[in-house]
Amino acid sequence: MLMSASPGPDALIAEAIGRCAQGDRAALRVIYDLEAPAMIGVAMRILHRRELAEEAVHDAFTRIWRHASSFDPDRGGGRTWIYAILRHRSLSILRSEGRTELLDESGFQDRASEEESPEEVVTRLSDAKSLKRCLETLQPARRKAILLAYVNGLTHGEIAGKLGVPLGTTKAWIRRSLLALRECLA
Amino acid sequence: MNNSDNADLLAAEYVMGLASEDEAVTAERLIRQDTHFAARVQYWRDRFSVLDDTAPPQQPGRDLWSKIEASLAAPSGKPARMSSTDWSVWWTSLGFWRSAGLAAAFASLLLAIALGSVLRVQAQKPVMIAVLLTDANRPAAVVHVLANGEAALLPLNSIDVPAGRALQVWTLWDRARGPVSVGLSKSSQTIQLNLGNLPKTSPEQLFEISLEPESGSPTGRPTGPILMKGTASTPL
Repeated sequence: MLMSASPGPDALIAEAIGRCAQGDRAALRVIYDLEAPAMIGVAMRILHRRELAEEAVHDAFTRIWRHASSFDPDRGGGRTWIYAILRHRSLSILRSEGRTELLDESGFQDRASEEESPEEVVTRLSDAKSLKRCLETLQPARRKAILLAYVNGLTHGEIAGKLGVPLGTTKAWIRRSLLALRECLA
Repeated sequence: MNNSDNADLLAAEYVMGLASEDEAVTAERLIRQDTHFAARVQYWRDRFSVLDDTAPPQQPGRDLWSKIEASLAAPSGKPARMSSTDWSVWWTSLGFWRSAGLAAAFASLLLAIALGSVLRVQAQKPVMIAVLLTDANRPAAVVHVLANGEAALLPLNSIDVPAGRALQVWTLWDRARGPVSVGLSKSSQTIQLNLGNLPKTSPEQLFEISLEPESGSPTGRPTGPILMKGTASTPL
């Protein structure tokens, strides 16, 4: 009985967002306690710098609070909603802060070498996830392109540079890979 | 690749963060207007979100929560940093619009009730109302659009218009087209708006007032400070 009474994390978050919409500050704190460390992790993959990642998480929480009433549990899960806000904010910071500044900063190379590669990200995916199986059906360079975009927030141009292929090729790879993923995930 | 593939790819690339600025604007419009597209965005978010779960968690700094709380306590959170000369900047500052939108929605409700009683006498119920807010989120004027297309802006407070300057009313329904001037006045009085040649006013359509030279903006775009702005919504 105890087990069946405890809702999953997504239901907990959705419920907390509902209470935020009613002005319950404690509910925002619940979300913070449950998700802030993971949110910093997601933002760090995109922004690399701790202070920027914290800024993104800070901004995400103020938006979660202000827009809680626009969350519709019928349209998607609570966690997906807050991570969509976080990713949107992280990408805005990334693009507005000036990417070259981030890349050129001394020490970035060192940090980059400590960072996980896209392949490592795939290995962290649970075997039970169909996305893992489907990503593994893609050719390695195309899989890498998808991951660099979603996980690290790189643009088409940056991915092209990293993979050493023309921009048009990168765009085509990503579009074809997305269609292949859709097929595989169906 | 057919059209539905293209729409689906836009949804996926938007979720991945690969959409260009223009594509993102299109995607955000479609999310509001097209439930099928919104569902596709949700589909891709759900599929890719398992990648977010693989990020190694990191403990937030000790003061992060108190910073968040402090921001919640501020009246309008982060004040919108508006560049009055570059309308595209404030138009894209989503944060401002989202918080302004909530305040505007509430103010619209109050004003729709108030206006409703006034206008019942005239038997002309507005089909669209926009409450324009100052950057301190205070209601400063109301735009109402009647079913016959007539529209007017009613200031709620007097506005000091310096000599040689005028209030210019703009509307924006299409970012690609940019703001279009719909009225000009040298004082804060009821301003009849000229919406005749424009598409029918739609929900979320932006109205705003900027301070311009007496004869109106020389560039056809807002050049002076934006005094207030708000988006249209349908009254009850």
